[in-house]
Amino acid sequence: MRDSKHAIEIDQLTKYYGNQQALQNVTLRVRRGDFFAFLGPNGAGKTTTINVLTGLSNFQGGHAKIFGYDTRREYLFARRLVGLCAQEFNFDPFLKIRDLLVFQAGYFGILPPKAARRADELLKRFNLYDKRNVKHRALSGGMKKRLLLCRALIHDPEIIILDEPTAGCDLELKFQIWDYLKQLNDEGKTVFLTTHYMEEAEKLCKTIGIINHGQIVRIGEKKSILQDKSLQDVFMEVTGLE
Amino acid sequence: MITNPIGTASLAKREIFRFLSVSTQSVFPPVLTSTLFIFVFGVALGNRIDFSSTGLTYLTFIVPGLMTMHLISTSYENTSFSLFLGRWHNHIQEILLSPLSYLEMVLGLLAGGVMRGVMVCTGIYLVSLIFGNIPALHPMLLLYFMVMISVIFSCVGMIAALWAEDFNMLNMWNIYIIFPLVLLGGVFHPIHLLPALVQDISKFNPMFYLVQGMRFSVTGVSDISVLISALVTLGMALLFFLISVWLFKIGYKLRT
Repeated sequence: MRDSKHAIEIDQLTKYYGNQQALQNVTLRVRRGDFFAFLGPNGAGKTTTINVLTGLSNFQGGHAKIFGYDTRREYLFARRLVGLCAQEFNFDPFLKIRDLLVFQAGYFGILPPKAARRADELLKRFNLYDKRNVKHRALSGGMKKRLLLCRALIHDPEIIILDEPTAGCDLELKFQIWDYLKQLNDEGKTVFLTTHYMEEAEKLCKTIGIINHGQIVRIGEKKSILQDKSLQDVFMEVTGLE
Repeated sequence: MITNPIGTASLAKREIFRFLSVSTQSVFPPVLTSTLFIFVFGVALGNRIDFSSTGLTYLTFIVPGLMTMHLISTSYENTSFSLFLGRWHNHIQEILLSPLSYLEMVLGLLAGGVMRGVMVCTGIYLVSLIFGNIPALHPMLLLYFMVMISVIFSCVGMIAALWAEDFNMLNMWNIYIIFPLVLLGGVFHPIHLLPALVQDISKFNPMFYLVQGMRFSVTGVSDISVLISALVTLGMALLFFLISVWLFKIGYKLRT
């Protein structure tokens, strides 16, 4: 891994879907070891930014780097460092959940014995070990959320990108995920989180960025962003929501 | 260049595991269908067909044709279904997010198609031995054609899976293009029995070269030079392989 002080560097990023501009010259930096909340209304460009960072979307202008590796030119290096916990449940329907994690680790170059140990460790950590031999269809919504997290973490990434990880979770699971994310961040991992829950961002994050209509409208340390206001008030103010 | 051999092997293993886990649907049906074809056409009807002009019995003639037909269809089905399902359920992201190069992604997916095609093709050949003495005269050449034909149609399957928007579009290729061309390529008939004009037209059918190559490998008899068959097969394999890698590289219908 390069000795970059930034986990994420995005410069002048521009992205179109057909004629519609989804990202307009987005520029942002996320420090190594930061816990970054990326907020915005639906359709603001949060998931598009994530997709560009992880190589799931093409883009027309600017550049993006992960720990100094260009996500287009050096994508093989950049992808090794990222774990993505997506919004949707997108699992291979043919695989039992433990096999799914072992294969996923394999894609990242981890040999089967180590991959199996890591899969068991994560399944135990997220209380899914008893379900290791079932396919994902047999899991509840909350279990699938946990499985998404396990898959994102299977290769021990340096940066974890989470797209609304606690949406639809009950309180117990939400707190469990929060605890785990804080623990990961304390261990030095960078966390990049999108959420619609302001209290989640306020409680967990050190730095906050707000995007609206494909443009960054506010970014900075949590303290400097909030000052004496609540995050919800700041969010409403900068996004123009009533 | 392969930079992530473990990752490529993992993807290949997953592809092979996927079709083996449903082998009653993916491996045995084509072998069973071919057994029935061999029995009905090769044994029951074949004994009444005068095939002396080819120097072969009808049974010996159709076995390599059937092997080719199912090699093509199973290789195509394997990659097209796997990749399309990945797009449909969006679990293709598991691969797209990983540090696999586009070449490695194609190789991994290809492994399943080639393995399934070769297994089915070998199964048909072994079953045919129950009905008659059909020694494979050129086994190494047979292996070459099996692998190359499988590569071609595994790649065609990937291209179709990327192009298709639904399952109907995915099946269209097989029903309207591949299957008719294979049948007209000489699976059940020798080309020299056709009218001169149709013989000439058949030479523009790429499947003709594949069927002839397989037939020569098993029987030593072919309507054209085996070298031409081998070169056409190699050319097609390279062409479709490169197209597949290129489509992955540009992210055709994979990246938004």
